[in-house]
Order: sequence, then C-alpha cells, then structure tokens
Amino acid sequence: MSKPNDLVQGTLDLLLLKILALEPQNGWAISLRLRSISGDVLQVSEGSLYPALHKLEQEGWIKAEWKQTENNRRAKFYSLTRPGRKQLESEAANWQRLSSAISYVVQLSEA
Amino acid sequence: MRPERWWFKAPLRLKSIFRRRRAEQELDDELRFHLEQKIEEGVAEGLSPEEARYRALRAMGGLEQQKEEMRDVRGVHWLTDFVDDVRYAMRSLRRTPGLTAFVVVTIALGIGMTATPFSMLDALIFRPYPVPHPGNVVTLVSTSRDNSFENYSYREYMDIRDHTKSYDGVIANAALGTVGFSAEPGATPLVRGGMMVSGNYFRVLGVEPRLGRGFREDEDQVPGRDAVVVLGSDFWKREFAGNPAVVGRIVRLNGTAFTVIGVAPETFPGMLIFSRPDFYMPLAMARVFSTNPQKNFFIDRDDRELTLRARLKPGTPLRQARNELAVLAKGFEREYPKLNRDRGAAVHTQFEMRTRDDENNWKFGVIFTILALAVLLVACTNAAGLLLSRARTRTREIAVRLALGAGRFRLIRLLLTESLVLALLGGLGGIAVGYAGIEAMGTFSIPTELPIKIPFRMDTRVLLASLALSVLSAVFCGLAPALQSTRADLVKGLKAADVDEPGRKRFWGRNALVVAQVAMSMMLLAAAFLMFRGFQNSLRDGIGFTKDRLLMVRFDPRLVQYNGAQTQQFYKLLTERVREALGVERAALTQNPPLSLEDFGRVAFVPEGFQMPRDRENFTSTMDTVDEGFFETLGIPILRGRGFRASDAAEAPRVAVVNEQFAKHYWAGADAVGKRIRLENFAGTPVEIVGVAQKIKYRDGIDRQPDFVYLPLAQHPAARMVLLLRSSGDPLQMVKPLKDIVRRLDPNMPMLETRTYEDLYRYAAVDGPRVAVELVGALGAVGLLLAIAGLYGLVAYNVSRRTREIGIRMAIGAGPRDVLRLMMGKGLVLVAMGTVIGLVMGFAVERLMNSMLFNVGGVDLTVYLIVVPAMVLATMLAAYVPARRASRIPPTVALRYE
Repeated sequence: MSKPNDLVQGTLDLLLLKILALEPQNGWAISLRLRSISGDVLQVSEGSLYPALHKLEQEGWIKAEWKQTENNRRAKFYSLTRPGRKQLESEAANWQRLSSAISYVVQLSEA
Repeated sequence: MRPERWWFKAPLRLKSIFRRRRAEQELDDELRFHLEQKIEEGVAEGLSPEEARYRALRAMGGLEQQKEEMRDVRGVHWLTDFVDDVRYAMRSLRRTPGLTAFVVVTIALGIGMTATPFSMLDALIFRPYPVPHPGNVVTLVSTSRDNSFENYSYREYMDIRDHTKSYDGVIANAALGTVGFSAEPGATPLVRGGMMVSGNYFRVLGVEPRLGRGFREDEDQVPGRDAVVVLGSDFWKREFAGNPAVVGRIVRLNGTAFTVIGVAPETFPGMLIFSRPDFYMPLAMARVFSTNPQKNFFIDRDDRELTLRARLKPGTPLRQARNELAVLAKGFEREYPKLNRDRGAAVHTQFEMRTRDDENNWKFGVIFTILALAVLLVACTNAAGLLLSRARTRTREIAVRLALGAGRFRLIRLLLTESLVLALLGGLGGIAVGYAGIEAMGTFSIPTELPIKIPFRMDTRVLLASLALSVLSAVFCGLAPALQSTRADLVKGLKAADVDEPGRKRFWGRNALVVAQVAMSMMLLAAAFLMFRGFQNSLRDGIGFTKDRLLMVRFDPRLVQYNGAQTQQFYKLLTERVREALGVERAALTQNPPLSLEDFGRVAFVPEGFQMPRDRENFTSTMDTVDEGFFETLGIPILRGRGFRASDAAEAPRVAVVNEQFAKHYWAGADAVGKRIRLENFAGTPVEIVGVAQKIKYRDGIDRQPDFVYLPLAQHPAARMVLLLRSSGDPLQMVKPLKDIVRRLDPNMPMLETRTYEDLYRYAAVDGPRVAVELVGALGAVGLLLAIAGLYGLVAYNVSRRTREIGIRMAIGAGPRDVLRLMMGKGLVLVAMGTVIGLVMGFAVERLMNSMLFNVGGVDLTVYLIVVPAMVLATMLAAYVPARRASRIPPTVALRYE
C-alpha cells in the first residue's frame, strides 16, 4: 500500500489547495483529479486524503458545504477560503524556492 | 493567528463540541459517498459488485482509523473525552448513591467550613482598596517607641506632602468621627459618621464622583473658608433617597452650613474595612469637627490625628520611598527635638498595614482558616479512604480495561475525573454551607451610630478560592486511589473480583489515613477547645463593675454651638437635675464608658521619683475623663485612697485616680496614693494620685488589661460626654424623664446613642465572643464527627475485607474472642499512634495560639480526656461490628467470600 510519505512532507496540502483553487470539489472528484494530474508519479492513498482535507478545513484554509453532485447525490464540497488562498500563495512560493534549490544541488557537476 | 482564520475555525470547533452527533454523521456520509463512487467505478470497469466493494475498501484503508484521525484533527478530543469521562463518572457514581452522598456531604462540610473563615481573611487582609491600581497605594506611618503605627499631624503632613518625590500625591484623612448632621437648618441634628480628608484625596485615589465633583485642592488651604462636603453613596441613597438635586444644597454639619458639592461613586465605599463614611469634609474645616480641645489642629506638630496614604509613582521602588521618608523623619527630629524625639517613619503596603502586629482580628482570621483547612483535610482524608476502598472493589473492571489496551494515564484521568465530579458537587454544597456561615456571622447588631458594616461576604474571590480548593481536594483524594488501582496486577485482577494480598505494603496507605485522621482531629479539637476556653475565661473573669439597670446617653453640646463654658455649665446642671429625678439611684459622666467601641484617649506623663530610661521623655497610658459620680455609679471599688469629689474643681489641686495595674507598674511594692505624676513631661503640670481603683474590663476582646488613668472632668473639660444613669427599675423607663430634663435645659440639645448599657455589654462581651466560639465550636465538632465517621468507615472496611482471613483462622481453631481481639487490637494501635502525633501537634498549636492571642500559657489536658476516649470508642465499635459479623459466618461460607 502506498504511504503518504511517498510524497514530500506537506506537499499533499499544497496539491489539495491548488486543486481547490481551480474549482470547488468533493472528495471523490479530488481523488480523481489527483490521480489524473499527477499520473503515477505521485501516489496518494485514498486513506490519507480525508484526514488531510479535514485538517485543512480545521485550519480554516478551506471550507465545506453539502451540495448535490451532477447525478443528484449529496456530497461534501470543499472550496478555498481567503486565508487558504494566501496560504496557497506562500506554500507555492516556498515550494518554488525549495525545488529550485534542490535541482541546483542535484545538477552540481561532480568535479 | 490572524483573526480571519478564526472566523472559519471557531464554528467548526463549536460544532464538534456541541453537535457531535451531527459531525459524526457527516463524517460517515462523506466516507460512504466516496466508497460508493469507488464501487460504481469498479462496477463500470466490469467487476462484480462484491469484487468492486472489496477493492474499494482495500484502497481506502481502515475506515475507523481514518475517522479517528479526522476526529483528532479537530483538536477538541481532550474536551470530548472529558465530557465522556464526566458522563461515565456520573453513571458510576449513581451506582453507589450512599457512598457518593457521603463523600459529597463530607467535602461540602470541609469546603463550607473553609469558605467562612476565608471570607473573613479576604475582608481583613486580601481585599484590595476599592480604587484603580490599588497596589500602588501605600500608607505612611510615624513610628515611636510605644507605637510603630502612629499617625501624623497636619503640619507634618504638609511637610511630607511637599518634600517627597516618590509619589503621585500624598493624601491624609482623620479618623471617622461622629458629626451632627441636619439636612434642614432647624432640624435636630442626627449623629452620622464623617471623615475629614485632604483636598487631593479623591484625585490621588482616582475616584470619580458619581454626581457633582470632588474637592479642589484650593478648597483645603485656608482654614475654615470652604465649607463643602462630598456625600458617600450609601448615605446619599439612604438620607436623600438618591436625589440628584442634592448637589448644591446646604446641609448643617455640627451646626455649620456646608454646601454639598458631590456624591462619591457606589464603587468607593471608603478605604476602611469595617465602616463606610457617610460624608467627607476638607481638612481645612477641622475646627468644626475637632475633638481635642487642648491642641490646635493646624499648628501643633504633635497633634497627630491624620492617616497618610500615598500613591507610588509607577516604577518607583518601595525602598526608595522608605529611604526618602526616613531622611525626612530624621530632619523632623533635628528640627523639633522635643516633639519628634526617637521618632522614625515607615512606608507600608496595604498587606503590611492589614497584618500589623497590634491588630487581633486578622490573627483570628488566620487561626480560623488554619483550623478550617484542618477540617477540610480530615474531610478529604475521609473521602480518600472511601474512594480507595471503592477503587479496590473495582480492581477487576480496571484490570479489564488495562487488558483491552487502555493507557494507564487515560485511566488515571478517568478516575480523577470521578473524584473531580465528586469534589465539585461537594464544592457547590460547600458554597451553600459557607454562605450560611457568612450570613450567620453578620447577624449580630453593633451598638453604634457610626456607619459600621460587617465586611464578610461571599464574593467572587471567596467563590473562586472554594472552587480551587474543591479541585485541589479532588486531586488529593483521587490521586492515591487512582494510582494504586491502575497499578493492579493484571493476572490477579482478572482472576478475583477484589484481590487483597497479605502483603504489608498494600495496607500501609489506609493505615496512614487512619493515623492522620486521628492526629488531625486531635489537633483541631485541642485548638478549638483552647479558643473556647480563652473566650470562656474572658467572660468568667467578669467585667469588674455593675452593668445592670444602667442607661447611657451621649451628649455633644458642640452640635448646638456651645462654647466651653456653656458646655460645662450644661453638664453641671444636667447631672444635678438628673440626680434629683425620681428613680435615678446614681448618675455619672464619662468620656468613654468601658467596653465601648471607641478607643480611649491617651495621656503622656512622667511619674515622679521613677527612674526614667535615659532615652525617654515620657510614658503614655490609656485614660478617661470622668466626674465625681463615676466610681459609685459603676460600682468600681477604690482599693486605696479615694475617688473624685466635687471639691476636685478646676482651681483645686490637680488630682488623678489610677488603676491597680498602673500603680503596680510604676510603684511596685509602695503605695501609689500621694505620689505625683507630671503631665506631658518633667516641666508639666503636677497631678497627685489620690486613689487606686480596681481594674475592670476596659475593652472588648481578649486583650491584656492596660494601665489606666482617670482624670476629673472639672480639671480636664471635654465636650463629648456620656451620661450613665443607674435606675431603680427598668432603665428604659428613665428615657422619658431624662428627655424632659434635657428639653428644659435646651430644647435643641440632641440625645445621641440612647441605649441601655446592657446593649453595649452584650455586643462587647457576649455576641462578639459568641460568634467566635460558635465558629470554633462548629469547626471542632464537624472535625470530630468527620474524623469519627471516617475512622469508623476505614476500620470497618479493613476488617470486613479480612472476612476470608477470619474464616481461615476460625477454620483452624480460632475462637470468636481471638478474632475480635486481633481485629480491635490493630485499630487501637493505629489510634494510639494517631493520638501521640495529635498530642504533639496539639501542643504546638496551643503554643502558637497562646503566643499570638491569649498570653495565658499552659496546656489544657481536659480536651484530651474527652477526645481520646471518643476516638478509642469509635475505633473499637468500628472494629467490633464487622469482626463480630465475620466471626459468626460459618467458616465454609467465609472461605468462599469475596
């Protein structure tokens, strides 16, 4: 079974925030979206998806409401809050810094 | 954290606390939705529904684990767990209602018994001044050899005010005094309590009047110019029905017209503990209120009538203020060597002022509180013993929980929650008990016309302290049982419902409780009994004079603008006519009758022929000014020489009568009659001692008896006097004839404080001590009852737990008699140990109390003669009943007994 630590720590939050920034989604749709955008590179177990979503909700970065899906089922839809948007910006910036630093290190030629 | 996020977070937290079921439901729905989608997906891919379902479940991982993880994310599970624990505790306590009720009542008594003395302690020591930033307000005192808390004179106040830099203002006030008050010019004055304060008083204290304004500083500069008055809030409501139009009105104080300029706020009842001034006047108006005709308030540097307080500048260390004042005091001593010889200065915080050495009230508060805490300790020991017994019967339950994987910490928390629930229930009951106690303390009436209020009340601070004590007792009585029962050996615990090994260690806890309980109650009773005896003694010694059939009336002719000569003429005529009146056996005048609430005056003197210590200029003694009828009227025996006579007139040689204590003090072994003292100093007026009077009880309480000097009224005229009448019948029947006599002398002359002397006596010598004795008695009785109940419970429980052992013993041949001896012997050993410890503690407490309060010394054995047998009896009974029952059970049954 794949474990969340397949992902860089904290990256899941960033991914979720980013996905929700595009449009409000329910948990199932989010899992589909995760699978499609990251292909097989990033494996997110469905088991860790909901605790992560709840954590973001408790932190006040996303909010949830119950709505109808297209095929008329009730589902919990998450959307980004304003503090969440700020959080996304700062985490994205962090990620940019980190990833460019790491790729710089990796590309150092062994002289 | 940014507030905006809270906007989203708070509702979620609240929801997970208060709408838990809904939150759980949503959790379920959400995961189920996901699961169903996943299954549908599988089915769409061509799997059978079962296969799809299986795959979906596998992909999701453990659903329950996820849910738990999501619950943890809410960050409130400690709270929801606590709520669960409380529910569980309630359920399990309901299963043992008898035990629960007993523990709750025990703790309620303990807490309630503590709340009452704590409310005293709070009022007497801890309650801050009712002003903003009360911590900065300090008191400045003048110190001398006889008195380390002396006041300052007006002139000294001005110097201190102008030459100190540590303060944001230095304020002064005179003592609360009786003032003749009339709202209308013609009306007969009523006696009310007024206080002279400096012009900056309200400003420096930070008190904003609720109506009008406070004093301006220029209103306190020219003596006699600004006749303005600020009313106290209570007085304003009572006397003026809270009428706001009162500002600007003219009222009469001691006959002088004053303009009402403001009303103090409700939040400022004054700076005193026991009384609330009715109104405040500027110091500059002192002439209207002066009580000391011999001194000039504005000029005499030794007319020390003012209490000085100051507000420390923020950041100024107390040490700096102390140094500054000490330097100033040195300067005074240099400049006025005569008046300020050996006179120092001190700056005290509120706490230091309230716990001053020469005050007794707070000491009683402390002792009561210590006794009450001892009662609470006994109560907690009881509760702990019971909980311990209960915990042991739950060994199996706890072992099951541990076996199922409950953490030890989690279990201890659960058990502590149980005792917390118990203690809080007890605490609530205790607050009710305490409330009743506090009310009971305030029920006696105080015979005075000064605005005295009993300040003990159940306020938030007392409430909080009680609740804190409840929590503390919960930990105290719950922790040991919780620790012990969760340590239980799993295997044994699961096998037997109620294990009890023969090991010694296990018993140690409960045995220690028995010993502690005996010791505590022993100490408590010793203390209670000592207090009781102290008061009893002070009552039994009697007062040394006859109090029956006495009527007292206070006069103050200054209220109707008499000058000194008119005043003395009035008193002369008054006593003459009263003595002639029908039904009056004797009559006398005194400045201050014994046992009165007001302090006696002091007189400074030098005894002739007495070797003065080199560094002293004079001695002081308490004194009273009386007329020639005083000793006969009160029936105070003159031991040597004579009392005063009408011939001791103003122009006759100066004379005095002293009490035996005084005579012994200065002329031990010799006859004091014929000796002379000089008033003030060596050069002062010589006064011959013409008589020695037997000592009487001068003040209420249990103070040591003072030296006392009586001076004749004719030679030391005073304006404010009390007329004492001894009637042949009911003294109240004399009121009407007396009124007629006074009306014929002057129809406007007010008769103040008209009451029987019995009232005064009742307050000073009966009601006041009664409250103290009742409080101590209640503490002692409750302590003893709790201790006996607890002792009985513990011993009985210990014995009943050994039923199986008893069965074995009897099966192998022990007789019932042997069993009884064995069981009771154990209890008695414990009681004996407790008694020894208790005796030692009791002696220590007696020493402490003797040194603090009574100065009688000696240890009372009577109390132990009562307490020890009671304890022994209780223990024997407690051991006997279950042991007898156990010895009657057939061994075959007893062996199977669990």
